[in-house]
Amino acid sequence: MRSTILATAAALLAMAGTAAADTIRVGMSGGYFPFTFTRADELQGFEVDFLRAVAEETGDEVEFVTMSFSGLIGALEAGRIDTVANQITITPEREARFAFTQPYVYDGAQVVVRQGNETEITGPEDLRGRSVAVNLGSNYEQLLRELPYADEIDIRTYESNIEQDTALGRVDAFVMDRVSTSQVIEQSRLPLVQAGAPFSEIQNALPFRNDEAGQALRDRVDAAITTLKENGTLAEISQRWLGDDVTAPAEGADAAPAE
Amino acid sequence: MRPLDLGYMAELAPVIAGYVPLTLMMAVIAMIAALVLAALLAIVRVLRVPVLDRLVAVFISFFRGTPLLVQLFLFYFGLPQVVPPMTGIDGVTAAIIGLTLHFSAYMAESIRGAILGVDRSQWEAAQSIGMTQGQLLRRIVLPQATRTAAPTLMNYFIDMIKSTSLAFTLGVTEMMGAAQKEAAGSFMYLEAFLVVALIYWAIVETLSVGQRRLEARLGRAVAR
Repeated sequence: MRSTILATAAALLAMAGTAAADTIRVGMSGGYFPFTFTRADELQGFEVDFLRAVAEETGDEVEFVTMSFSGLIGALEAGRIDTVANQITITPEREARFAFTQPYVYDGAQVVVRQGNETEITGPEDLRGRSVAVNLGSNYEQLLRELPYADEIDIRTYESNIEQDTALGRVDAFVMDRVSTSQVIEQSRLPLVQAGAPFSEIQNALPFRNDEAGQALRDRVDAAITTLKENGTLAEISQRWLGDDVTAPAEGADAAPAE
Repeated sequence: MRPLDLGYMAELAPVIAGYVPLTLMMAVIAMIAALVLAALLAIVRVLRVPVLDRLVAVFISFFRGTPLLVQLFLFYFGLPQVVPPMTGIDGVTAAIIGLTLHFSAYMAESIRGAILGVDRSQWEAAQSIGMTQGQLLRRIVLPQATRTAAPTLMNYFIDMIKSTSLAFTLGVTEMMGAAQKEAAGSFMYLEAFLVVALIYWAIVETLSVGQRRLEARLGRAVAR
């Protein structure tokens, strides 16, 4: 009986959206701890739990597609996946091309250095004349390039493993979101440390194709996110993976935008 | 320096090994398709078939002249923007097609070399007894060319197996992709990549044993 009701509810929900995509194909890198990674071949992380919760709300199936980060946006545009769950930061350029949901993570850009270098590099200002690793195509690359002294920074773009190259001392620092750097430092054995406070507030959301079907799916997922925020599920997922609730705008404490 | 975490490697090995069938499947299908295509391309080149010969030359030039990764990206991410139905081709299929086209260009040249290596007098002899071009290729030239080409073709097969690791960029979780994702969670890069390297090495070594047997068999007719 209960399953019939669920099935009916799911069917009704599916009809509510014009493009009744029964399976939401979610792209992610699988290489971004603690948001998306595998352990013993099992894909897991914040994004995985989040999208499963979303799909449960919308009554859709969810299919995770992992590929290298720089291929994700192309795959979204080519219609190979329906959205990207990889802490995609909302930027004006991306907003012009994609239909975003509401933000589900509020975070900041964080400079991380090898242990011992934190006295020399205490924030983004000290990146002058330094080599800094960022993920290829990520928002952090953009953030660095927008700094007034960007031409004095040797920005190196990577497909993956920026943490490792910083720990090895091949680059002086890497820049990523504050939340996952805390997790990386805590859980990995790499000799890394955060340098100074986060330097720019960022909001992460799910991008969809900016066409009729994409917008319909976006609306459906957005409604689910609202529910997950209201009933505390999202906060709980955040606590589980990040040890902190970053799903609402920070009030004072961590928000130190220095744009 | 920390010691190598052998326990973690032992845990990881079966996980990565679980992707061996996918890697071999992609490589074997692509190899068979590439062999057929390469043989056709080589024959067109050797016989200097009008018009086709020029097209084949451009095909070989392009696929030898550009990196495999670029070809895969063009095919998988680029073309669907202008040919929307191509979106229906999944990552595994796209990787197989990419590997086939890329390696067929190289293999065509090594097959062409092997065909040209068969002495011209044998062509003339076959023609003098009235064999058609098809007959002489099939009965006289190709059997001998196969033997000459075998070692280099095997080289390409080995290269192809390793090149399947690029499929991860197309969303296919194969051995390298699986290792990459495990390393992302454990941060034990050395262990993860060492495991994947050892498995590739083991596969290629196994093949090399097969290659020696195959070459011995192909060489029976000319054994001294």
